[in-house]
Amino acid sequence: MSHVSVSNVWKEYDGQIVLERVNLEVKPHAFVSIVGPSGCGKSTFLRMLLSQEMPSRGSILVDGAPLPPEPTEERGVVFQRYSVFPHLTVLENVAFGLEVQRSRLVGRLFGARRREVFEACGEIIAAVGLDAARDKYPSQLSGGMQQRLAIAQALIRRPRILLLDEPFGALDPGIRADMHDLMLTLFEETGLTVFMVTHDLKEAFHLGTRLIAFDRYRRRPEEIGAYGATITFDLPLDRSSPREKREAMAEIGHAVAGN
Amino acid sequence: MAFPLKTLFAAAAMTGLLASPAPLLAAEKTDFKIAWTIYAGWMPWPYAQEHGIVKKWADKYGISIEFQQINDYVESINQYTAGKFDGVLVTNMDALTIPAAGGVDTSVVLVGDYSNGNDGVVLKGAKSLADIKGQKVNLVELSVSHYLLARGLDSIGLKESDVSTVNTSDADIVAAAASPDVTAVVAWNPQLAEIKKSPDMTEVFDSTKIPGEIMDLAVVNTETLKDNPKLGKALAGAWFETLALMARDDAEGKAAREEMAKLSGTDLPGYDAQLKTTYLYTDPKDAAAFTRSDDIVKYMDLVRSFSFEHNLLGEGAASKDVVGIAFPGGKVLGDAANVKLRFDDTYEQLAADGKL
Amino acid sequence: MARRWINRHPGRAERLFLGLLPFLILILVYATGSAMRLEVNPNDKLLPSFASLGNAIARVAFSTDPRTGVVLLWADTAASLERLVLGLVIATALSLVIGVVNGVLPYVRAGLSPMVAIVSMIPPMALLPVLFIVFGLDELSKVVLIVIGIAPFLMRDLEARILEMPGEQLIKAQTLGASSWQIVLRVVLPQMLPRLIDAVRLSLGPAWLFLISAEAIAADVGLGYRIFLVRRYLAMDVILPYVVWITLLALIFDIALKRFNAWVFPWMEAGRRSA
Repeated sequence: MSHVSVSNVWKEYDGQIVLERVNLEVKPHAFVSIVGPSGCGKSTFLRMLLSQEMPSRGSILVDGAPLPPEPTEERGVVFQRYSVFPHLTVLENVAFGLEVQRSRLVGRLFGARRREVFEACGEIIAAVGLDAARDKYPSQLSGGMQQRLAIAQALIRRPRILLLDEPFGALDPGIRADMHDLMLTLFEETGLTVFMVTHDLKEAFHLGTRLIAFDRYRRRPEEIGAYGATITFDLPLDRSSPREKREAMAEIGHAVAGN
Repeated sequence: MAFPLKTLFAAAAMTGLLASPAPLLAAEKTDFKIAWTIYAGWMPWPYAQEHGIVKKWADKYGISIEFQQINDYVESINQYTAGKFDGVLVTNMDALTIPAAGGVDTSVVLVGDYSNGNDGVVLKGAKSLADIKGQKVNLVELSVSHYLLARGLDSIGLKESDVSTVNTSDADIVAAAASPDVTAVVAWNPQLAEIKKSPDMTEVFDSTKIPGEIMDLAVVNTETLKDNPKLGKALAGAWFETLALMARDDAEGKAAREEMAKLSGTDLPGYDAQLKTTYLYTDPKDAAAFTRSDDIVKYMDLVRSFSFEHNLLGEGAASKDVVGIAFPGGKVLGDAANVKLRFDDTYEQLAADGKL
Repeated sequence: MARRWINRHPGRAERLFLGLLPFLILILVYATGSAMRLEVNPNDKLLPSFASLGNAIARVAFSTDPRTGVVLLWADTAASLERLVLGLVIATALSLVIGVVNGVLPYVRAGLSPMVAIVSMIPPMALLPVLFIVFGLDELSKVVLIVIGIAPFLMRDLEARILEMPGEQLIKAQTLGASSWQIVLRVVLPQMLPRLIDAVRLSLGPAWLFLISAEAIAADVGLGYRIFLVRRYLAMDVILPYVVWITLLALIFDIALKRFNAWVFPWMEAGRRSA
C-alpha cells in the first residue's frame, strides 16, 4: 500500500494554473528528490504536502487519510533559512518540540521535567554534531551548523514525513557534502519518508531513492498561466544502474537547462 | 584654543542669542516696533494701525511705528525684555516682574485702563469667597489672577496657604473649569465670561473690589524714549485719538468698536461687555491725573509686595525695595539708585494740553 | 599615498575630543554672549552668568523652598518621573497585548488594526481639552495624554514587526506541535519584547514632550510646570538647568533601556555582533 498518495492535484492562483494533473504514489521510507526549473511549482507542491497551502482540486492522502488543513507534528520541515528560533539556544531549539508537547499551558517545562527533556535531546544534538554548541544562539552558528540544528529540531517529535525545501542551497560545497552524509545516516536510522526540493541535480541523485521532475509541457508565452506544470520524469533510483542514472541525469539536466 | 577670539565673537553674535539689547542701539533712530497681544483694552492699537492713525501720528513726528502681534502674551513681554521690541503692551505687575526685575529700564508712556471686573474669582457650587478655604484653585500662577486671588483672600482674612493653587494655562482654563474635579477658578476676560455662563458657577470676588490695582499699560524702553521722545508723543497722539473715536455713540464709534471686536475674535455685544468691565482712560486729563496720584503709588506698593513674596523680583532680592519704581514728581518706591520702572505722565499731559 | 577621508578613522582620544568639541564651543559661545549682555545690563535675565546659574541650581536642587518646604528640583523630578513612568508602563503593557493579538490573529487584526491606524493619526495635543473634561485636571489626564500619545505608535510598530517575522518560524513551530497560544508565548512574545523596548526608546522623546506639555497646561508640581511657571518672570537661570536636567534624565532612560535589552535578551546582541 502507498504511504503518500497524490491524485489529480491542481493548484491555481487567481486563475493562473501552477500545477495540474499531479499524480504520485510514494511508499514508506522513500527519499523523493524533487527537481525542476524555477517557477515550476515544486515548492508549491512541497507546501501542499505541509498543508501550508491547499490543493485547488484533487486530494493528498497519507496512509489513506486526507491531510489535515494545517501543519502538524506528523510532518517535519527544514527550510533553506529561518528554520530555527533565533531567541533560543541550540538545546532550547531542539527541546522546543518536546516542551510544547508536555506543557500545553505555557509550552515550557521547569525543574526536573525540564532537565529530563534536555537530557533526552542530547542524543540527537550529538548525532548532528552540535554537542559543543549546545548553549549557543543560532546567530553564533555557521550556516551549516544552523541547518544541522534545524534538522535535529525537526526530528525531535519523530515525524513520519520530513519535508526539505532546498535545505543545503545556501551552504558551501564542502559543508554540503558533510550534510549529505548526515542526511543519509539519519534517513537510514529513522525510517522516515523524505521529500526534498533541490536545485542541485547531483544532490538529488546522490540522496534520493526516487527522483521526480516538474516541468511544463507547454511553455509558449500565451500558454503560461493557462497550463500548469506537472510531473514529467519519475525515476526509481534505488534500482537503476549507474549508467541509467548518468543517462537520466543528462536528459533531465538538458530539460531543466532548456527552460 | 586655536580660534581667534574675534571669530568666536562673530559666531556668537550670529547665534542670535546675542542680539544686543536695545540700549546699545538707542541713539537716534526712526523705526520702532511695539509688540501687542489680543486683549479688550489693547484692541484700539491694532485698529489704529490698520486705519492709518498710528501712521498719521508717526509721520507727524518723522518716525515709523510698527505694531506686531504676538500670539502668546508672556512671550511678547519676554521678546521685549530680550530687546527685540522697543515697547510692549503689558500689565503693571508683569512690567515690574519681567523687564524691570530683569534690569531693563522701562517707562510707562500710557496707562490705558484698569481692570474693573475683567478679572474674577469663580467658585463652583459655592456662594461666598470664604468657601474657597481649603480648595484647589486653578489659575495662571504668578499672573494678575494670582494677585487678585491674594488680594481677595487678604480681604477676608485668609492667607494664600489656606488654598492650594494649580497652574493652568489661560488657553485651557475654560475647559479646565468644565472638568468635574475643578471647583475654583481665577480668570480674566473673555475666558471669565465664558466660565460664568455655567449655572453652577458663581463669581465671588472680582477686580471691581480693587479698582486701579490691575492696570494695562503701554511701556517703552527708557533709553529709547529718552533719546526719542517723539515716540512717546506719537503713541499718545494715536492712542487718545482712537479712544475718542471709539467712545463716540454714533455710527462711526460703533463701527470702530465693531472692528475691534472682530479683531479680537468676538462680536460687538461681546466686546462691549468686556469694555464695560474695563475702565478706559478716554480723557488724557484723567490718565495724567491717575499717573500722578498717590493711589498709583499705593497700588504699586501692593503689587511689589506680592511680587517679592512670590520671588518674582529675582533670586537674591533681599527685599521688595530692590527694584526702584519712580513716579511723576520725583516720588520713588524702593531703591532710588536702581529705578527700573518709571511712570511718566509727560505724554498723557501733553495730550491733555492739546500740545501734541 | 594619503588615504581618502572616508577611510580615515579617529583614534580613541581623538573621538573623545571631537565628541566634546561641539559642547565646548557651545559653552564658550554662551559664556561670551552672557558676558557681553551682562556688561550692558547687570540684571539681564536672558543669558545668566555661570555664577548665577550655579546659585539657581543650589537654590532649586540643594535647599528647601521656603514657601513649600520641599527641595523644588527633587519634588518636580519625582512628580514628573512618576507620571512619565506610569504613562510608559501603561502604554507598553497595552501595546504589548493589542500589538500581539493584532499581529498574530488575522480576525482581530481585521477588526482592530484600521482603528489603531486611524487613532494614531489624531494629534494628541488636540485632544487635550477633551481629556481634561473626561479625566479631570489631575494626574490621570497627564498619564492618559502620554498613553494616547505613544501607545498607537507602539501598537502599530509591534504589529508590523510581527508581520515581518519570517513565516518559516511560525510554520516550523506548528510542525513541532505548538498551539496558537504556545506560539504566542514561546515564539512571538520573546522575540517581540526587545523590539518593543526599542520602540519604547524611540517613544521617549514624544513621551517627554507630552509630559511637559501637560504639565505646562495644568499642574502644581513637575519639571514642565516649573519651566512654564518661571518663564513668567524670564528666570533663565532656572529654566536652563532644568532643560539640562531633563535631557540628562532622558539620556539615562535611553541608556538604561538599551542596557536592559542587552542584558535580558542576549540573543539580540549575539546576532548584532555576528552580523
